[in-house]
Amino acid sequence: MAFESICEKCEEVLQPYLDRELDEAERREAQAHLDECGYCAKRYHFEEDLRRFVRQACDEPMRPELKAKLAALRTPLL
Amino acid sequence: MSGPVAEPETSARRLAEEARDRARFEEEVLELSDQVYRVARRLVPTREEAEDLVQETYARAFRSWRSFTPGTNLRAWLMRILTNLNIDRGRREQRTPDVRPMEEGDYFLYNKLEEATPDEERIVERLSQDSVVQALAGVPHDFRDVIVLVDIGDFSYGEAAQILDIPIGTVMSRLHRGRRILKSRLAEVAVGEEA
Repeated sequence: MAFESICEKCEEVLQPYLDRELDEAERREAQAHLDECGYCAKRYHFEEDLRRFVRQACDEPMRPELKAKLAALRTPLL
Repeated sequence: MSGPVAEPETSARRLAEEARDRARFEEEVLELSDQVYRVARRLVPTREEAEDLVQETYARAFRSWRSFTPGTNLRAWLMRILTNLNIDRGRREQRTPDVRPMEEGDYFLYNKLEEATPDEERIVERLSQDSVVQALAGVPHDFRDVIVLVDIGDFSYGEAAQILDIPIGTVMSRLHRGRRILKSRLAEVAVGEEA
């Protein structure tokens, strides 16, 4: 599909864009592309949602017992 | 006692200063424990192993506090201890044997999910929490380490490169490929749940 070959560039910058690793000029360029390409914009939002979802799904808080054990490892004050 | 001796007052003051610096360092390290645990929990398969790994990391960090240069990145320093311990202890699972080449592309999961629910606004909500945890655990560790550091630990590419002692280009390519594998696994689970 012609669509996909146009957006190969987008696929390449999507990851660093989402990870906030592009410099200002690159970021503007990527944003400009997303503003005019519905295909990539939809997928960008999906990737963004997915990342958020992975982070939430994987968040298992530490048990208080462990926290206490870590605190007990501190060097005793003289 | 003979020979030159540091003035008792000076050395006492120095000891007190050092104790204070050390206590401050330990407090700062402890404040990071939630973040450290969050990463550890996804690097190893079980909660018990994650807890052991974090405890060993803290024990070592407190022991080697002098090797930390104040003003540098404490979070990355700590995480480097953790990932090295994880490698040393051979705690990593074996490489998953059935990794097929995943060349479906970045949009594979999206397309799969979109096929299943054409006009869903937030397609990602079709995935369950368990399926995400399971899919991530199934990503081979070289790739998963990078995903965990960047996506869950909030480390930059540069920090992840420093922590894992690999070039930044490798961080990017592993991240890219790792996320593809993750999405591909998720697509299997999502479509599997559907059937």
